[in-house]
Amino acid sequence: MAKGKQVCILGESPLVVEYASLCLNKGFKVHARLNVSSKSAKLPKGIKRVPKPTRSTDIALELTNISIKEKKKNLIELDRIVRPKVPILSSCVTVTAAEQSGWITRPARLIGLGALPSLLEGTLIELATSDATDKPSIAAAKEFTKAVGKNCALVRDSVGLVLPRIVCMLANEACFALMEGVAAKRDIDTAMKLGTNYPFGPIEWAERIGLRQVFAVMAALHQEFGEDRYRVAPLLRQGALQNVFPGG
Amino acid sequence: MIKSVGIVGAGTMGNGIAQVAARAGFDVVLYDISTEVLKDAMARIKEDFRRGVEKGKITATEATEAFSAIHPRRNFGDMGNADFIIEAVAEDLNVKKEIFKKLDAIVAPEAILTSNTSSLSISAIASLTKTPESVVGMHFFNPPALMKLVEVVRGRQTSDETTKTACDLALRMKKIPVVCKDTPGFIVNRVARPFYGEALRLLAEGVATVEEIDMIVKMEGGFKMGPFELMDLIGIDVNYAVTKSVYEQFFHEPRFRPHPIQRQMVEAGTLGRKTKKGFYTYK
Repeated sequence: MAKGKQVCILGESPLVVEYASLCLNKGFKVHARLNVSSKSAKLPKGIKRVPKPTRSTDIALELTNISIKEKKKNLIELDRIVRPKVPILSSCVTVTAAEQSGWITRPARLIGLGALPSLLEGTLIELATSDATDKPSIAAAKEFTKAVGKNCALVRDSVGLVLPRIVCMLANEACFALMEGVAAKRDIDTAMKLGTNYPFGPIEWAERIGLRQVFAVMAALHQEFGEDRYRVAPLLRQGALQNVFPGG
Repeated sequence: MIKSVGIVGAGTMGNGIAQVAARAGFDVVLYDISTEVLKDAMARIKEDFRRGVEKGKITATEATEAFSAIHPRRNFGDMGNADFIIEAVAEDLNVKKEIFKKLDAIVAPEAILTSNTSSLSISAIASLTKTPESVVGMHFFNPPALMKLVEVVRGRQTSDETTKTACDLALRMKKIPVVCKDTPGFIVNRVARPFYGEALRLLAEGVATVEEIDMIVKMEGGFKMGPFELMDLIGIDVNYAVTKSVYEQFFHEPRFRPHPIQRQMVEAGTLGRKTKKGFYTYK
């Protein structure tokens, strides 16, 4: 299904690398551009680095969760350069599809994507639409998830969507517990894996996803809801500054 | 060296822990106030061992030996010779305090007293004994024979030595101990709160349906069970009670606030699998 189709991916590492590798694997021709903040990341062989979006691409992906400024710049550029009917799938875990649709001139082609590092290990991708999204774009997004071998679930456009919100909240609570000296890092992970059968401990999961990413989701939830429930654990904030927990 | 373990309460947790202790080679005194409960417990233990033999998990000789190492007793004083006590009665602070006061009077001064509480303060339970440094939490998970984890909970006055002895005992029972501070919900019941709380909020906000959320959590996240399936299994009432307890013990910290959906379901009597109706309907 993907044979010969072209995908153009803009955004931050490691999300771009993860999506580009998957697309390449599934037979897409992949063009990619990393954000200035992720310039040093390596792209696997077979992926073409492009200086600007490819006009003739069949589908476009914008994968930035952390720097909303870079995200906005990328989206505007994609919207301006890529052919008008081509769908743009844009990660929407830290800023809703609705908000993003206000940044571009052709919001009908924008679909939100539940993109967070390491989640492609799963078998499902979450999608969300804004009120402006048109039917052909939704169909194209669904077809894309199928072409990369995933199921999809269309959920309501909301910060963090479903899985990223739940997992980041688990990680945030684990950070509060760690910070308060309830238990050691490894013991918190062991307890959650053995006591509740979670696939990963919440601390190791945060490290797999990346502390900056988890922080970005939490900060967005806190801003969106304005509730103390979503305030970021200071330890997570400190960890996000260096992408590793203080004390290792 | 600990040789004899006394278990207070022969309910689901008590008889499960008794099996595990007997299998680990301890002499077990299993106490309960009710003859009926003790009888049921011994029958259950016998049946579990029988099934263990059937499945080839233990030999018939091992099963017979372990079974004969468990002594059901209705006389509280019979636990006086135990080196290590595990209390597993109902989650009621007053009941537990009464038991620890009585235990304090009969056991040797160097005996270790532990409670299998999942939600009460070890520091409070220890307060009525003469040796609070020898009191520590040992939170086994249900069913104790299968679940590897034991949260070893350090109360305000628990000594390092007591903590270490409890960890060693858990290891001898082939369990994996994790040490945690006496704080509401310990590790598991605290850190797991958002799994349910966020799922309920996502549902209430109309982000996705019960079925969709469970499916997403399993397929995208790799969880074995979705939050709604799990709440149905645990019991909506039990889950709600745990959430409320953690919330109240943290002086109404909003991260632990229960959701009105939970309360409403408890009020409606739709408690999950056990009532055949919860987030899903069961036949």
